[in-house]
Amino acid sequence: MQYWINHNGKQFGPMDLDSLKELHLTSAAYVWHEGLPGWIKITQLPELQGLYEMDGEPVATATQPLDATQTQSTRDQAVMGQPYQQPQYASDQQASPAEPCPPTNLGWAIAATVLCCIPVGIVAIIYALKVTNKYREGDIEGAKRASETGAWWCIASIILGIICQPLMSMLPAIMGMGM
Amino acid sequence: MLFILIIAALLVFGGIYYALDPSASSVFPRCTFLSLTGYKCPGCGSQRAIHSLLHGDVATAFRHNALLFIAVPWIGLCAYAESRRTRNPRLYARLNAPLLIWLFMAIILIWWLLRNIFNW
Repeated sequence: MQYWINHNGKQFGPMDLDSLKELHLTSAAYVWHEGLPGWIKITQLPELQGLYEMDGEPVATATQPLDATQTQSTRDQAVMGQPYQQPQYASDQQASPAEPCPPTNLGWAIAATVLCCIPVGIVAIIYALKVTNKYREGDIEGAKRASETGAWWCIASIILGIICQPLMSMLPAIMGMGM
Repeated sequence: MLFILIIAALLVFGGIYYALDPSASSVFPRCTFLSLTGYKCPGCGSQRAIHSLLHGDVATAFRHNALLFIAVPWIGLCAYAESRRTRNPRLYARLNAPLLIWLFMAIILIWWLLRNIFNW
């Protein structure tokens, strides 16, 4: 499993569990891996327990063995309900306090590109890309802006298509009259 | 509600595109990009392709616009993933992965280039 980490405004990853130990994370870090709808607090992933410090106080570092209570709580969580599998089935909001990725509008962007006869839909696809990238970097505000801009490009493309096409059909007639 | 609207719109447009042949009728808009530049856009021929498809003529549809055969299933998948997002966020995340978006953009651009070179 590869993890992405967002800690103190910096992003790391993809990396495996062993590399995570070397980052000296605190409980303020956010983490993401494939299958999660968004960043979640590192404290919510039981398999990462012991790889970060709680409130500046070391719980367990990579070299130290886990203490008894830690192991116990990990085991409890793993046995009861298996919380790390929940996000797959629960809704975006329930799964994590972190916001879900804003809509990429990818379907609309493709439809606009293929059906509107004006290739500005490609810009909307680029913005869809930007939404996902920004979101993975942990820049939720940026992702939201990209999502909105992308949506406007889709709308612009559709409106332009609807307005321009009848105009273009009439163009020969207009030109004909001019000549 | 939105779902019903989309289905209704699809049915109406489906009916129009079934009944009228875009290559024979003048009510259908011509491609703006083609008229302005003389080059085909990635979507050129999709109206004729849809007409052929609705009449079960897959070969002709493919000749009019091959991209449609990738784009339409892809759009459908996006719509499906969007509607099931709360149940299955993993599908949505996978479908919107940067690599896949890049791939689709590359397909469109290459298709756009090639069809103008080889007059597809």
